[in-house]
Amino acid sequence: MAQEAPGAGGKRPLEGRGRSLRVLRALLGAAAGVPALALAAMVAVLLVEAMPAIRYNGLGLFTSGLWSIGSLYSQPVRTGGVLHLVGAHYGALWLIVGTVESSALALLIGFPVAYGAAVIIAERLPRPLAASLGLCLEVLAGIPSVVIGLWGVLVLGPFLAHDIYPELAKLPDVPVLDFFRGGVGSGEGLLTAGLVLALMIIPIIAATSRDLLRQVPRAPKEGAAALGMTRRETFKAVQSRWIRSGVAGAAVLGLGRALGETIAVALVSGSQIQNPSNIYDTMTTIAATVVQQLDSALTDPSHLAVRSLAEVALVLLLITLAVNSLARLLVRRSARDVALPVGAGL
Amino acid sequence: MVSTVIAEEQEVGGCRLLLDQIRPAIHAHLDDPVIETFGLTIGFGNEPVLSGVDLPVARHQITAIVGPSGSGKTTFLRSLNRMNDKLRGFRRSGRVELEGQDIYGAGVDPLVVRKRVGMVFQRPNPFPMSIRDNVLAGVKVHKMVPRAALADVAETRLAEVGLWPAVAGRLSDSPYRLSGGQQQLLCLARALAVAPDVLLLDEPTSSLDPVSTEAVEALLLRLAAKVSMVIVTHNLAQARRIADQVAFFCEGRLIEAGPTEAVFESPKRRETGKYLQGQFG
Repeated sequence: MAQEAPGAGGKRPLEGRGRSLRVLRALLGAAAGVPALALAAMVAVLLVEAMPAIRYNGLGLFTSGLWSIGSLYSQPVRTGGVLHLVGAHYGALWLIVGTVESSALALLIGFPVAYGAAVIIAERLPRPLAASLGLCLEVLAGIPSVVIGLWGVLVLGPFLAHDIYPELAKLPDVPVLDFFRGGVGSGEGLLTAGLVLALMIIPIIAATSRDLLRQVPRAPKEGAAALGMTRRETFKAVQSRWIRSGVAGAAVLGLGRALGETIAVALVSGSQIQNPSNIYDTMTTIAATVVQQLDSALTDPSHLAVRSLAEVALVLLLITLAVNSLARLLVRRSARDVALPVGAGL
Repeated sequence: MVSTVIAEEQEVGGCRLLLDQIRPAIHAHLDDPVIETFGLTIGFGNEPVLSGVDLPVARHQITAIVGPSGSGKTTFLRSLNRMNDKLRGFRRSGRVELEGQDIYGAGVDPLVVRKRVGMVFQRPNPFPMSIRDNVLAGVKVHKMVPRAALADVAETRLAEVGLWPAVAGRLSDSPYRLSGGQQQLLCLARALAVAPDVLLLDEPTSSLDPVSTEAVEALLLRLAAKVSMVIVTHNLAQARRIADQVAFFCEGRLIEAGPTEAVFESPKRRETGKYLQGQFG
């Protein structure tokens, strides 16, 4: 190509690279729209799939704990226009309760451990030790949940049922501790599920909190030291507040994982659709039920079983969205008086 | 011919050449200094930063530390309330006496030293809490006043730095919404709230606009009656405007110290004169 001489202009086209910029913008816009579209599509498909179940189950889904596919030997019959097996009844109360209880337990147990670990790693330990512990966190985060679930059911559960739960069950006779008394079972149940879930969310929360702590600027920390504050007081005044909204975001991320975790819970929960009588009792969650019931649900000639599973999946999705929105609201409120980037880490 | 030129250039480029024959610094003798350093020598690892600084700090006056970049001004300032202690490779010899007591002596708690010798930094560094809580942070930690009196303390301190009218209606707001100058005043209020005897200021106006700078300078002049101050500044005009005493540092040494007027008008060392005239910096 011949080089153009400067100043040899004359009448040359003035259009720039507008077209390629427009193409790029369109591509980026499309990419940015993918998450929103995916979410909308998922809700729409679940909604359509679940519609007959929504009509058949009504509010009973939330008020009843009985989950029964009906008699597979009967001819499907029609009620209110919905085809179903005789005796089919889908009440998801205990699935929802189990999901919320196990995830809440996981957060209750996992959050303090994770936050404490992050503080110690970021603030106290010498660099090499902090780095190797950090590596452990990352490895822990990468363990497939089926491996953790297997370990939970083969190793952790029996150990807890033998050595730990019997001690816990001897807690003093105070009404608030009622939940800890009674038979301890075989180690498959609510508390074991909560502990396994805690183990799975600790790495997420700890690694995020540690990274946030490392990003706290030096200036306000020095300001605190210059006021004669101890390290602990400095941490309370500066670091803990600086990372607060990000840590809340990490906790919600962890909670989201716990709510949706499937295979590990399916392995250690005992898989009983019931309200656990105490903290050691067997139970199940929405996600675990979907995966465990799907095979038999597919044998239902009325298809209502599969549609009911879609309906509880939709409920799970809505719970997750609600938890996320609530967390964002809280984070925004707590961030208001410090005006840090809202929802950092969410 | 050629060699003369090189010598001159080196001389203009800094004070290294002139320091070849080390002469004792020109001291300011003060009768009742609030802080005084004796042979203060500081290094980080193998890097010497300050050597043999003897400097008294005048009570209830403003002492400006001036000198080119890398002359050890900030290191000197931070050594007066032990802010260097935790830095990597910190080494020190010599003494720093606060009211006659060595702050590096055995059994001295650096936190107690820092409560009495406060510090304001180059950039405003408010805490991530409300404006009110920022002012009260030190007061609360040191449990200096009963709970019921906290609101009064906040108002008094904010009024003292001239910030009260601007923030009275939004004490619960984030300090990060204030302007840079207002944030720096807030940091001053926070430092003053723990009632320090001495306030160290590390280029407190270098990140501020001229109007805010003027506000801070006026405040420092007002405060001088109550608090002794040491200010590091690159702004010679500022040193001249507000300082009672000036100390000129170069290459980690104190070259000359004395009353501002004397040092600016008739410096006793050639390096001081050259620096003050802007021949190197």
